[in-house]
This record gives sequence, C-alpha cells and structure tokens, in this order.
Amino acid sequence: MKNLTSLFLLLAVSTVSLVYAQDSASKDMVHSITLPTVKVELRAGEGKDETERYCGICHSLDYITTQPKLSKAQWTATVNKMVKVMGAPIPDNEAKRIIDYLDVFYGTGK
Amino acid sequence: MKQNGFTRRDFLKTAGIVTAMAAVGGIPADLFGEEQRMARFPEKTDMILLTSRPPQLETPLHYFKDSITPNEAVFVRWHISQIPTSVDLSEWRLKVGGNTEKQLSLSMNDLMKFEKVSYTAVIQCSGNSRSLFEPRVVGGQWGNGAMGNVTWAGSRLKDILDKAGLKAGSVDVSFNGLDEPPLPTVPDLVKSLPVDKALEDDILVAYEMNGKQLPMLNGFPARLIVPGWYATYWVKSLSEITALTTPFEGFWMKTAYRIPDTPCGCIPPGSAQKKSIPINRMTTRSLIIEPANASSLKVNRPVTIMGIAFSGGYSIRDVIVSVDGGNTWRGAQLGKDMGRYSWIQWTFPWKPEKPGKFTLMARATNSIGESQPFDGLWNPSGYLWNKIEKTEVEVR
Repeated sequence: MKNLTSLFLLLAVSTVSLVYAQDSASKDMVHSITLPTVKVELRAGEGKDETERYCGICHSLDYITTQPKLSKAQWTATVNKMVKVMGAPIPDNEAKRIIDYLDVFYGTGK
Repeated sequence: MKQNGFTRRDFLKTAGIVTAMAAVGGIPADLFGEEQRMARFPEKTDMILLTSRPPQLETPLHYFKDSITPNEAVFVRWHISQIPTSVDLSEWRLKVGGNTEKQLSLSMNDLMKFEKVSYTAVIQCSGNSRSLFEPRVVGGQWGNGAMGNVTWAGSRLKDILDKAGLKAGSVDVSFNGLDEPPLPTVPDLVKSLPVDKALEDDILVAYEMNGKQLPMLNGFPARLIVPGWYATYWVKSLSEITALTTPFEGFWMKTAYRIPDTPCGCIPPGSAQKKSIPINRMTTRSLIIEPANASSLKVNRPVTIMGIAFSGGYSIRDVIVSVDGGNTWRGAQLGKDMGRYSWIQWTFPWKPEKPGKFTLMARATNSIGESQPFDGLWNPSGYLWNKIEKTEVEVR
C-alpha cells in the first residue's frame, strides 16, 4: 500500500511538474523577462533637472505625471515622505526646489 | 465617470508603447488632466500603463466580460523598483523558519509535493478605483481595472507551516518576496498575517494561475493567496515565510496599507486619519461591464445589461439593477456560482422603450448582508472603494 501511495504521489508530482517542463524557450530552469524602457518627459521649467535626478533614483517619473493635481501641502508631504521615510538622499535646498517645481507644474496652485 | 476613458480612447502605437490622451466627447477635459497610456510588458497584453519602474499595469475593462481573467491581462502592481526579472528554479528556494521546529528550504518540486489545492478567487488591489475618490488622493490612480478573477492552484500555507512545525507563542507570520528596495533605507516589501489567519485552510502558496505558471510580473514562481482579502497580502515571488513571537512592525504593515478604524473604514472626506488598522477583507462590489459607459442604444431593441459582483469571501446573495438612476430596482439573473471567493456574472434583460439619457446602476449584497453605498466612502489612502457605479447610456 505504501509503495502504491508513493507511486501515485510520484505520478501526481510528475503531472504538476509538466506545467514547468513545458515552459519557455529555455530548456533549463531559468525564466527571464526584459522590462521595456518607457520614456517620460516632465514639463520644462525651473527645478525639472533636480526633480528628474532625485526622484528618478528610485522610481520612474510617471509616478509624478500620473498623479492628479495636488495641493502644495500634498506635494510637500509626498517629498518629505520620500526623504524622511524612504531615505531619498535629497539635500534640504534641493527638496525645496523640487516641491516648488511640482507645485507649479503638477499642482492645483493652492 | 472617469472609467469610460479606458474604453473609448484613441491611441497611437509607437514602438510597443501606446500613448493615449483622453479624447472622450462630452466629458470635461480637466477630469482627464492626467496622461493615459497603454503598454505591452513581457508576458502581458496591452495594458493601461500607470507607472513603469516599478510597473503598475491596469486591466482594460472589456476583459471582465469573461468569468476568468486571462493571465496576460491580470493587473500588475509592484512597490519597490528592484523587481525580479529572472528566476532560476534550480536555485530558487522558499525558506520557512523563525519560531518553528525546523527551518525549511523548499524547491519548486518540494512545494509541489504538498496536496495541490485549487479554487477561483478575485484578486484586487487595495487601491482599485482610487482615481474615483473625491477629493482626490495621492497614490496609483487606478480606474476599476486593478482586479481580476483567477483560478489559482498551489499548496496550503497551513501544510507548509505544519511541516516546519510552527511553535507555540507565534503571533504573526511574515512574508517576503524577491523584490528589493532601490536604496537600503527604503523599506523592503514584507507583509504579515496574524497566526490564526495564516493557519486558515484556504490560504495558498500558489504556483499556478489558470493552469499555467505565473507570469514573472504576477509573482513567478509562487505567490501567497489570501482569498477574500486585498492583494497587498498576496506577496509575489515569495521567498521567505517567518513565524514571529512578537507582532510584526514593518513599514508596509505599521505605516502603509492602513484604513480608518471605523465601522465603514471611512472618515469625512478630506479629513485626517487618526486611529487606523491594517486593511484586510474586501468590501462587496458590483460593476456593469456591458453596455459600456456612454454607449448608444436603439429604441425597442432588447439589450442584456451584464456585469460582475463579488465580496470578501461571502457569496453574492443578489444583485439588483436600476435603469432609471436608482428610482426603481429589479433583481438581476445570477450566473454560474464559481465559489465564494470568485466573482459571479449577472445579466439583466432590458428593452428601452423611449429615447433619452438613461442611468444604469447595479447593487450587490452578499450572504451576510454587506452591500454597496450610494455615495463613495472616503479615506485618505483611497482604499475599499465600492460605491454603486453609474453607467450613462443614450437611447435613440
């Protein structure tokens, strides 16, 4: 009985493994993808360079462009979160320029 | 209604990336202030592109005409930018340890030796429909497409923890995946479940989606499945399971993914969240898929209004539909029951007998009486959205 069970288990395992055996071009066990590069252009203006340089360290710039228009308080809180919580290495004066840029070009003006 | 931008949008294809600006007649342009784009990522179909690094891809709504969402169309949401793009199964191991008798290091073959369990369950991002919040909130601006209905298969988390020998005194179980932060200061994405929740029978480490291996962007080679709960817990490319004797206090539990500690998970719009708890079970929702918003229908020509409904782990008891903006309601016909974690399709035959503008609405109720509000419930992170949606159609 025990042998039968083992045989059944072995069969079951072989069946589920098929999903993996059939996988992909590679005959080995490696599964890989290549991510596309997506170009995002921020609006031209004072502070754009700093915004691209610092924000782009950790994430694509569409994290900015896909947001709704935010108040200056919301942009300030967002940049502060990146610096204080996420540890983004942005000097204070640069952070201020980034907040001003986001407020002017991606803000509600309030 | 913002979501009709996703179905009625002109777009231009350029090198695999499609740029689409909102071009919808009769809708105020400022509602579409944000750029909308389409993109095709590896193993995925053309998806609505929210962000590229890390990727956030939304499912176009027409896929929800089918009861099962195909793997290539299931939404994608990563948090930190160093995501896995290559996994060697001869090296990949799922490590299980912490407050356990044994430390396990499971290969894919080891994982597949546990009893294989399969069921269909809705996967939904906590922030699905965030773009509908008013006032607007910061975060991924999802329409209604950060969800899908998938048949998952894998091993019970409970069986894995049993094999490791979970020891008394465990309070939380944490889950880490292969994704890594771009800077050492960025909190790694680690989630946790209370130990009683982790030991529930239905929680899986899934290695199959709809009978196939997981696409890399959906968490190859295995992800946690917590059916009925929001997908923030469904850790992708799972690599470590750790039993803890003290409450887990990582950023993604203690600070992020929290909802107001109020019965509705909501607070007055625009106010600040005070006492909060980790987000957990999904709210009850329904959505009209056909006709699409802003459709044009013919007088006296019968149509079938069709949609989906689901809730956080309780079967849908009924769906009622209104074709007159909520004044009168009648029951919809429920489709095949695919289990309490799945969504259910519903249909409602309708013959518009006079021309004019009509507002279609649907409202689902689950088996424990949970339903949907007429007004959107608000919280500052844009979670739990389940307002009764309005589909505007014109009959000519």
